[in-house]
Amino acid sequence: MATIVKSYEPTFWDRLYLPALAKGLAVTLKHFFRKKITIQYPDEKYVPPDGYRGLHRLNKYPDGKIRCVACEMCSAACPADCIHIIPGPSPWEDGKERFPVRFDIDLLRCIFCGFCEMACPEEAIELTEIYDFSNYTRDDLLIDKEGLLGVYELTKDTNYYSRPNAGQDSEALTSDKF
Amino acid sequence: MPIVKIDDTDFTVEKGTSVLQAALANDIEIPHYCYHPALEIVGSCRMCLVKVEGMPKLQVSCNTFVGDVPSDKKIDGKYDMVVSTQDELVQQEQKNMLEFLLLNHPLDCPVCDQAGECDLQDYAFKYGNAHSRFEEDKRVRPNEYLGSQIVINHNRCILCSRCVRFTREISGSSELFVEARGYNSKISVLEEKPLDNLLAGNVADICPVGALLSTDYIHKNRIWNLDKQPSICQDCSVGCNVDVFHQKDQILRLTPRENHSVNKFFMCDKGRYGFHRFEEIERLTVPMIMSEGGFIETTWDEAIEKTVDELNGAGKGIAGIASPFHTNEANFMLGRLVNGNVGTLPPITSEEINYPSGFRISGDRSPNRHGMNDVCPSIVDDFASAVERKDIRFLYLLDDGIDRELNELWKGMLEKIDFVVVQSYAMTDVSKCADIVLPGQAPFEREGTITNDMGRVQWLRPSVTTKGESRPDWEIPMLIQSKHAGVEGLTDVSSVMNEMGKDFAAYSDITFFRLGDQGLPLNGKAEE
Ligand code: SF4
Ligand code: SF4
Ligand code: SF4
Ligand code: SF4
Ligand code: FES
Repeated sequence: MATIVKSYEPTFWDRLYLPALAKGLAVTLKHFFRKKITIQYPDEKYVPPDGYRGLHRLNKYPDGKIRCVACEMCSAACPADCIHIIPGPSPWEDGKERFPVRFDIDLLRCIFCGFCEMACPEEAIELTEIYDFSNYTRDDLLIDKEGLLGVYELTKDTNYYSRPNAGQDSEALTSDKF
Repeated sequence: MPIVKIDDTDFTVEKGTSVLQAALANDIEIPHYCYHPALEIVGSCRMCLVKVEGMPKLQVSCNTFVGDVPSDKKIDGKYDMVVSTQDELVQQEQKNMLEFLLLNHPLDCPVCDQAGECDLQDYAFKYGNAHSRFEEDKRVRPNEYLGSQIVINHNRCILCSRCVRFTREISGSSELFVEARGYNSKISVLEEKPLDNLLAGNVADICPVGALLSTDYIHKNRIWNLDKQPSICQDCSVGCNVDVFHQKDQILRLTPRENHSVNKFFMCDKGRYGFHRFEEIERLTVPMIMSEGGFIETTWDEAIEKTVDELNGAGKGIAGIASPFHTNEANFMLGRLVNGNVGTLPPITSEEINYPSGFRISGDRSPNRHGMNDVCPSIVDDFASAVERKDIRFLYLLDDGIDRELNELWKGMLEKIDFVVVQSYAMTDVSKCADIVLPGQAPFEREGTITNDMGRVQWLRPSVTTKGESRPDWEIPMLIQSKHAGVEGLTDVSSVMNEMGKDFAAYSDITFFRLGDQGLPLNGKAEE
């Protein structure tokens, strides 16, 4: 069964276009006097809220030992299959027998779902607020254990982007930190 | 025969079958720890409790046997026993038992190598409580070495005593015992008698939890990362059935696989840790040809052409050396190539060990002597000592591998022969005497059939991929033979088995499909 749709016939006022123009300008004017929400990135950094899922970090205990026990729960949970761990016996006599000899994350494959931090029984892996870690080569986006521990040092005390010299630091992060 | 009703299904069982056995045989799960089919029943873990009609208390199903009841006493006029595994009381009791077992358990699955194949983990998840009510301090004990290869984590032990019974009944060495009583009991060894017998590795397998660990595998990987390939151990002529656990072409561990006609449930440590000796070898992956200055690499085409040329030139003076380390298919193709004129190297032997349980470690370190003799009937043992060597001009040798050392007699003989082809996977003593070395497969790369010393044909499956340009062991002699004879070559290992069956009646009905996981006995014709 066919339905006949009548096309809209513009009236005289419509065809004048002036009322529409005024309406549009009113919106522009309204925003003109409001508080600006544009951020002058990268001179100014957006500060993500808590719980933002950005670059990973590997947490340490206050005494400096790595929390991770290389149980590979995170890599089992990871839907992108991008966490690669080589376990080994722990170098410390603290009752935790295992320890990650290698811990690599392929950030190019990661979809930042956060399943890894949810799966972790030791609260060892966490996603941080860092979002601007683009790079020039693929290799530089494979982050290893040292890189992940470095991210912990950068983010453990305060939100990475609300620190005074946040802009300069992120340069350092993207190049040699991984 | 008695009829037992388990939950809602009737089963007819042999008289004297335990309820647990009847259930397990019919895929009904009853959680259990201390019961192991190879060991004496002790009924100590109380995990397998079931409700048996007419009995006031719950019964341990591993130690409750179905018998014949006089016909007037049968339940519902039909059943000799009626069992419920799903009763509310049973479920509550399972929860309670698990709570007891976990009282002092550290709950450290993340660092435990058993996680993923742990009965405690699985049952706690399926039948246990989600929480613990134990608020006191847990009993904590340090790890101890029971022997050079076995570590015990006392905190995880549930004192099922499987390991103790194993050393008493299977290895007969009785190293392990339960020390002290009650809350203080723990598994122990005497300092002067550590757990160092050749079957020790099995205790780590039969331990239902992560208490006994093999130092060889500890903290190496996680079980769900590994691929499991059912295969055959190649370290002696018994041919224990094994599972090879591997990841990315690297073998991490071997565990025994159940086969009641061969190894039952166990394997020895020689076979268990034997794979390590292939890890470090420098694998030969391209054909090598001897020239003035030593071996130089060549291509397959050239290598085969050269070999065929020499073969043509040698006329009747050709012979082959078969290898009891190779599959039936490889030996069969070699026999074809050299017209059955076959010998062997001297055997590699060690002491034969027999355990009270009937478990045997053979003195013959080669896995396939029986099969080799079957498919090379006119074989001459220790060829060099037995044969006049001046009329041999072409020798094709299947190398035994890295364990082989050549004696002077053999070296002298190989030197005198005009052209020696060695098929090997490494630059062994034997390969060094060759004029041309053709790269075959290393032990865990091979596929085919091997026949153990009791005449059981078993399917040897490859666990890792063949490295580089190396070719299957049966394929190399086949290529040379087909080129030499100008016939069409065989395409896969199954067609070789087919050909083998035509020549040797005992192997006529053998196919991979029929061999399956458990193998087949030879039908006896090969011995004639
Ligand atoms: S965030 Fe998701 S995809 Fe990325 S590593 Fe974690 S689990 Fe894998
Ligand atoms: S980060 Fe956590 S989940 Fe991943 S291996 Fe380490 S402890 Fe296990
Ligand atoms: S023994 Fe089983 S339950 Fe206990 S820590 Fe190991 S895996 Fe977990
Ligand atoms: S070590 Fe393992 S096998 Fe031995 S008693 Fe303890 S739990 Fe059972
Ligand atoms: S299996 Fe029956 S009591 Fe342990």
